[in-house]
Amino acid sequence: MIPLGILGAGECGEIVEILLGKTETSAVRGELEKTAIRVEDMGIRVGRSVEMLKNGGGTVLLRVDESRIAIARRMAMKIMVRR
Amino acid sequence: MSTQLKCKESLEETEGNIDAAQQTAQGRVITVAVAGNPNSGKSTLINAIAGTRLHVGNWAGVTVEKKEAQLEYAGRKIRLVDLPGTYSLSPYTQEEIVARDYLVNERPDLIVNVVDATNLERNLYLTVQLLELGIPVVMALNIYDEAQAKGYEIDVEGIEKMLGVAVVPTSATKKTGLDELFKSVLAAADDLAGHMPRKLIYGEDIEAAAEQVADELRHRNLPLSGRYPQRWLLLKLMEEDSHVLEQMKLDRLDFLYQALHHLKKAHGDDMESIMADARYSLASGLTREVLQKPELRQMELTEKIDRIVLNRFLGIPIFLGAMWLLFKLTFDLSAPFGGWIGAMTEGPFKRWASALLLPLGAPDWTVSLVNDGVIAGVGSVLVFVPVIFAMMFFITFLEGSGYMARAAFVMDRTMHSIGLHGKSFIPMLLGFGCNVPGIYATRTLENPKDKVLTALLVPLMSCGARLPVYVVFVSAFFPNNSSTVIWSLYVMGILLAVLMGLLFKRTLFRGEAPMFIMELPPYRMPSFSSLCVHTWEKGKHFLFKAGTYIFAVSILVWFLLNLPWGVQHKRDSYLGQAGAVVAPVFQPLGFGNWEAASSLISGVIAKEIVVGTMGEIYAPQKDEKGEVPTLKEDLKEIAVSFGAACNKAVKTLFYLPVPEEKEKDRSSLRHALQGVFTPLSSYAFMVFVLLYMPCVVAIAAMRQEFGTWKWAVVGLVYQTMLAWSAALIIYQGGSFLGFGG
Repeated sequence: MIPLGILGAGECGEIVEILLGKTETSAVRGELEKTAIRVEDMGIRVGRSVEMLKNGGGTVLLRVDESRIAIARRMAMKIMVRR
Repeated sequence: MSTQLKCKESLEETEGNIDAAQQTAQGRVITVAVAGNPNSGKSTLINAIAGTRLHVGNWAGVTVEKKEAQLEYAGRKIRLVDLPGTYSLSPYTQEEIVARDYLVNERPDLIVNVVDATNLERNLYLTVQLLELGIPVVMALNIYDEAQAKGYEIDVEGIEKMLGVAVVPTSATKKTGLDELFKSVLAAADDLAGHMPRKLIYGEDIEAAAEQVADELRHRNLPLSGRYPQRWLLLKLMEEDSHVLEQMKLDRLDFLYQALHHLKKAHGDDMESIMADARYSLASGLTREVLQKPELRQMELTEKIDRIVLNRFLGIPIFLGAMWLLFKLTFDLSAPFGGWIGAMTEGPFKRWASALLLPLGAPDWTVSLVNDGVIAGVGSVLVFVPVIFAMMFFITFLEGSGYMARAAFVMDRTMHSIGLHGKSFIPMLLGFGCNVPGIYATRTLENPKDKVLTALLVPLMSCGARLPVYVVFVSAFFPNNSSTVIWSLYVMGILLAVLMGLLFKRTLFRGEAPMFIMELPPYRMPSFSSLCVHTWEKGKHFLFKAGTYIFAVSILVWFLLNLPWGVQHKRDSYLGQAGAVVAPVFQPLGFGNWEAASSLISGVIAKEIVVGTMGEIYAPQKDEKGEVPTLKEDLKEIAVSFGAACNKAVKTLFYLPVPEEKEKDRSSLRHALQGVFTPLSSYAFMVFVLLYMPCVVAIAAMRQEFGTWKWAVVGLVYQTMLAWSAALIIYQGGSFLGFGG
């Protein structure tokens, strides 16, 4: 299990878990939870496989089905995947 | 007691709903809400159906755009209400809340759910939520042509059977399936009761708990519960949805706790996640059943283009190139038409006005008011309609093609460094057209801090209204490198926005920037008709402003310029006096004359008025021409010069030589300006116009968007200070370096 944020471009992974608020303060945690819900609403959720299209900079670009979704690396590091 | 009564009434209302709905068949207006994911082609579909009949407004209380259209199909009246694009109905973004409140409180007769056939699973997630509402749903399986081209096989009947809704494959871009969609809508409208969606089973344990909660609800006879669809209410209560609990005035959830405790424990999660997972498994199970994808996925065009456009090294140069092209196309194509409108208002319109008024015995001052006030004022603004519409057209093209989202992605890093979200880029970009929609566009940002900071920086983007000022000055002082000078002003606005962003981030808006999440839609060629509709929607703000607001201001300015009565010299008029009072402030900036100061004062209303006022101050003395052309000659000349303008636009675009012609319009204003300004002071003046306080409309927009004057005032003060300092540095620095001549 590795964070989604460290997959290289072209690599695929299946989402296993979305880690939330284990180490953060409550304010950061609230924001993370809200972000996590939005990310899940867009189809990035446990069980789905995603492909890393572009990794570099503060934002990573993923492919989920036929949609391309850009998310902050900070969020991508909370999403655990299995290669 | 009264709540009890109300509750009863509303219960009856819900029961009576179906009867009322059946009357629909006899000619009542059928209300159809259109719901769907962002990028599902929903707005293209609406445009294809409604075209120019679309009425664009705002949802009450919020600044989310609301589109509506009244149409008739097969003799039946249909009211389409476009809901904001959402991925879900969970109440986390303003769009989601608006969509959900509308569906729950207004209860449309029907929902048309636009589903992207190439992204079934995610789109069906929203569908599942829509089906909870107990409103008949007709599904438009959109982008069906692309799904087929990809080799997807979708079992349309399978979806119909499993969800109990009518499914119609459509392609909004090719306008196919729209007839069938309407037929299905009418069929459902004729028999609403027979088209109620099937109840989806969310899993044994959830349904068992739901049964228990439903029992409790029946016992408790909660007030207001009749207001909501039963299934939906039940599920929302189980999710412990804060909005619903608040609306139902429920704070004690003991009975819920009992029923849900077991579920929570078994899943080891909160109820919201459990329910979301249940919905999502339904969506994904359904997708597995009905969708066959080809084994091998082809690398798509979108991905190929993205490899280049989002490349680490090429991304930003490509973006800058795209912006340059945007401006080049805008100006080259529109300039001849602007000239044509200018010539028309200067010549024939004024002549016609005189010809109409003088025989009626109108006094000279009335003729002057109409000609020098109304026609000259509004005319000098109308000249810029082509520029603004051309720019809106190309911005719409960037949006519709999918590049705009890439621009936000590419710019995220840069934006992040000034404490902004990559998405803040879009309001900024819109700000180039007009700051007002730019400020309203900040609503796409979730974080209030981002919104305010972005809205404060948007006015630094040089809007279309400032362009008229540049164009006049540039043609007078920098005729040979006009594009470069104008471009430099745009760039200066951007650089100062970066600078101010950094400053604000360190002072007023400390703290971490929120996280970027954004979908990059596939590249598509937007259809010409939808481009036109959207261009019109954006451009009409300007047009109506020119038509009404600026009309009134032109008259006001004329009076200020011509009062007190019998004023001989414009300098002695009220506006001139005010200008003379303020002028010394502008002395160190190189334009300490009353003309410039008066224009700047009137420009607070809207920046394009700076030119209008100057036009009036320097209005040419009427030189009586020997021969006055007849109406017929005038009309002929208008048509001929329009043809010439088209010809010129095409030629400039392809760098073909354009025969120099003597431009009559504005030459008098240009000459007058050349006598008052130097190239350096004209540049300082343009910088000042770029930066000084946002126009009244923009200020009003900020007030409306944030519900307080605070930020509008902050913007006003900092910008005016910035403008003065920047113009000072340019003028004094330039003089020092010897550019003063």
